[in-house]
Amino acid sequence: MLSPYGLDIIESCLTCKTRNERLFCDLPAAALQAFEVIKYATAYPKGAVLFVEGQAPRGIFVLCKGRVKLSICATDGKTLIVKISEPGEVLGLSATVSGKPYELTAETIDPCQVNFVKREDFLRFLREHSDACFRVAEQLSEKYNTACHEVRSLGLSHSAGEKLAKLLLEWSSKNGEASKQEPRLKLALTHEEIAQMIGTSRETVTRLFADLKKKQIVQAKGSTLLIRNKAALKLIANNN
Amino acid sequence: MESAIQPSCLECVERPEHRFCDLPDEASHDFDLLKTFTVLPKGTMLFRTGEPAHNVVVLCEGRVRLSVCSESGRRLTLRIAGPGEVLGLSAVLAGSPYQMTAELLDNAQVASIRRKDLLRFLHEHREACLQVVNLLSQDLHVAYDRVRSIGLARSRRSRVPRVH
Repeated sequence: MLSPYGLDIIESCLTCKTRNERLFCDLPAAALQAFEVIKYATAYPKGAVLFVEGQAPRGIFVLCKGRVKLSICATDGKTLIVKISEPGEVLGLSATVSGKPYELTAETIDPCQVNFVKREDFLRFLREHSDACFRVAEQLSEKYNTACHEVRSLGLSHSAGEKLAKLLLEWSSKNGEASKQEPRLKLALTHEEIAQMIGTSRETVTRLFADLKKKQIVQAKGSTLLIRNKAALKLIANNN
Repeated sequence: MESAIQPSCLECVERPEHRFCDLPDEASHDFDLLKTFTVLPKGTMLFRTGEPAHNVVVLCEGRVRLSVCSESGRRLTLRIAGPGEVLGLSAVLAGSPYQMTAELLDNAQVASIRRKDLLRFLHEHREACLQVVNLLSQDLHVAYDRVRSIGLARSRRSRVPRVH
């Protein structure tokens, strides 16, 4: 039977093969069984909006498969992408806990499987399962650290070039590439989306990439970017 | 650090008004046993960006400036923390270095608790863990507000953040 949007749906958390690698999902059996009862497993296509900035919180969305773009909008329509969420992350967590509106808009950039839990069910679940509560505290802590990192990057970087260099270095440090002399990264976002991550224009990002390629600091092969000169990129990131 | 007589959280008149502190008596009693109470002068650095997060600090009295710093030493104020707030929480729970610098703006009274003691305390006291979850949620809302104001202001080139 074909799965929606080409996804291999994980029907039960109890049999999920990647559960142990994910902070929130690696719960004791009793908590996991209780979670099974309150969750709704759903598949979404690319480009689906899970929730909108300013919307009253309905509940949390545990990202099982795919990636989600989290963004903030200004009143004039300008968008800032705050983060690209990966599987294992719980979206809408702080809004659901606090009862305040969602602070961000969440839009899928791949076909995704998401486990949705209604707010009242999730709050009761946290009250009844201290392990889950602790996991939530850990995940909120990571989100907060990421937000502080974002503030530092946006507020203290002089130029778009610095911010782009920092972003590329950050991306290249994932998936086991950190120790390599010439790390590779998959450019999953368009120049427009990268511009929205660092608070600049698409034209500036395109110009900066052209500049980096001309100086042979990076090399593009399709959607893969190879960092040829990590030291030079670090100098740009540190405004040297 | 200058030590002082260790007052009890159970006798603190501010306790009902401070979110983290308003715990059941049993949890407050256990917290009393774990904390170290200190009086510190204005200008003291409670912790700095990048330092290993060994403690959280409960601000009993006084104000703290929370800021982020670049490698070159430029500083950006995130916000001013007031009495009842728990500082360094996210770093301690995530097991990461402190993400910001905390500097006393006034003479202050603080209660610090070591990381391993806090983790055990939260595992043993569900109410305290729920309070921490609530506190972190509030902190995250404030952080995202800051991201919004800096990130979107910079893209409009209409405001320059306060940088030292």
